[in-house]
Amino acid sequence: MSAIKKMFGILWSLMGVGIIPLVIMQAMKEIAAKPSEENWIFWSIVIVVLMPIISFSLIIFGVFALKGEYDVLE
Amino acid sequence: MAQNVRNVSQTEEVSSTRRVIAASSVGTLIEWYDFYIFGTLAKIISEQFFPKDNPTAALLATLATFAAGFVIRPFGALFFGRLGDLIGRKYTFLVTLVIMGGSTFAIGLVPGYKTIGFFAPAIVFILRLLQGLALGGEYGGAATYVAEHSPAGQRGFWTSFIQTTATLGLFLALGVILVVRQTLGVETFSDWGWRIPFILSALLVGVSVFIRMRMSESPMFVKMKKEGKTSANPLAESFKQKDNLKMVLIALLGATAGQGVVWYTGQFYALSFLQNACNVEFVQSNVIISIALLIGTPFFIVFGALSDKIGRKYIMMAGMLIAVISYKPIYQAMYDEAALKTKVEMVDKTTVETKEAVKGTDNVTTTVTKKTYEDGTTYKETVKLTVPIDLVKKAELAAADKLKPETKKEVTLPQNSYYKMIGFVLIQVIFVTMVYGPIAAFLVEIFPTRIRYTSMSLPYHIGNGVFGGLVPLISTRLVEATRPAPGLPPADPLAGLMYPILIASVSFVIGMLYISNKTNNMDVE
Repeated sequence: MSAIKKMFGILWSLMGVGIIPLVIMQAMKEIAAKPSEENWIFWSIVIVVLMPIISFSLIIFGVFALKGEYDVLE
Repeated sequence: MAQNVRNVSQTEEVSSTRRVIAASSVGTLIEWYDFYIFGTLAKIISEQFFPKDNPTAALLATLATFAAGFVIRPFGALFFGRLGDLIGRKYTFLVTLVIMGGSTFAIGLVPGYKTIGFFAPAIVFILRLLQGLALGGEYGGAATYVAEHSPAGQRGFWTSFIQTTATLGLFLALGVILVVRQTLGVETFSDWGWRIPFILSALLVGVSVFIRMRMSESPMFVKMKKEGKTSANPLAESFKQKDNLKMVLIALLGATAGQGVVWYTGQFYALSFLQNACNVEFVQSNVIISIALLIGTPFFIVFGALSDKIGRKYIMMAGMLIAVISYKPIYQAMYDEAALKTKVEMVDKTTVETKEAVKGTDNVTTTVTKKTYEDGTTYKETVKLTVPIDLVKKAELAAADKLKPETKKEVTLPQNSYYKMIGFVLIQVIFVTMVYGPIAAFLVEIFPTRIRYTSMSLPYHIGNGVFGGLVPLISTRLVEATRPAPGLPPADPLAGLMYPILIASVSFVIGMLYISNKTNNMDVE
């Protein structure tokens, strides 16, 4: 179980890192296609609020998992 | 003799715990009521305070609707959580109650945009932020306070009463709005009657403050303070120390994020889906949700108590998993139940009525089409075209392609479909009770008393306020992306479910892998 937790730790960290360019690229694509106020507000909320929370928490969580910090919780 | 003394002591303990639960729950319920009436009346509020032709005001309208949920609630959690760990639980959540009640009452008194111009949206925006701050501080305090009064082994049961308050607050908000709207009539309600639910809050908060003033401080906090063990800096201790930070992260990613999206999907998105995708009439859709909430609420206590017996983890995870698997079939069934294309129209009963009127400087043409179907469903479509009398202005609008009619579609379901809809929403409320019933006890048990208020409040409010609060915005956006052209129906009305399904799936995997099930009997020290 401990090995699986550590292995998934890599996945969480990679997901956290991968989300950043994916979201920014999608936002740029959609705003370029339709630069409406609605689009700007939506993507601002996603980039400023949601993305940093998901991304940073997954990265740190993944690192903790990889280091075996959660091995004691069985 | 000794047995009698023990029995009397146990009876007194239960009675004291009940008083604590009642006093805490009433206050928390009122805070949720205050928070939800703004959301439920968002459309009327935007018409009163935010004019459509002013882009800055429109921006404020959007931010006011969402900001409290997105950004401010976690800040409230940090601010008041810190206070609660420094000066005590009782006084902190008394302050949050007064701030929430005061802001709600004040929203009901703010003059509209027509009277004070730009000050109207600015004041409402500030008051909404205060509401979010107060809510961010309230829940953690109430859950911590109740848990610290509860006997070990019954913490899930007792804290589940606090868990019912969010749903009951929504129920109360919907109920008060429906009663006031039905009593005053739609026009009067839209004009000034919407202020009544806000003003009513002052009375509710007054009663709750009176009750809370008579409560005593949490025994664990008092003991800790006497021993000089309170934290000097709860924020730093919660988020800078690895041992606590790792628990904050697991609480967020493995529990509250998934719980937040299941909560908002089962209650708010269900209402939005009924009204916008299924076009179910306003009163009927609200009654469907209200009945489902009322029937489902006792299950918070059932699952809270069950978590004392079998652990918190598997109940919460089961709720997330079943939600992930069954959302699409449930929403498909809801959509099909209201879909007119599968129903047989009774053409001889169709009526079309057109009215023309002059309103101010505009000519308004209203066409109302009413259709009846063999299964008892009725459909009403109101098309309203507003054209300026001034020919120059009319030509300008026509050139800008702005002379478009407003269309309102309303489906009134027959009794059979109506009951089925209640059933579909009720199933989702049961998922909500599974993920939400045991979560207060779970959060309380993973953090130590000295930093509990701060540590548990942040993941709770990020999970609910940000992950959950974003469900309506992101899900609506995902559905809109499948709309081939404005005015046409979306190609995939269920596309909005992708967001809650994705978040709940990740949360389920993390929760299953990393959360321990051995916390239920742990001593809260």
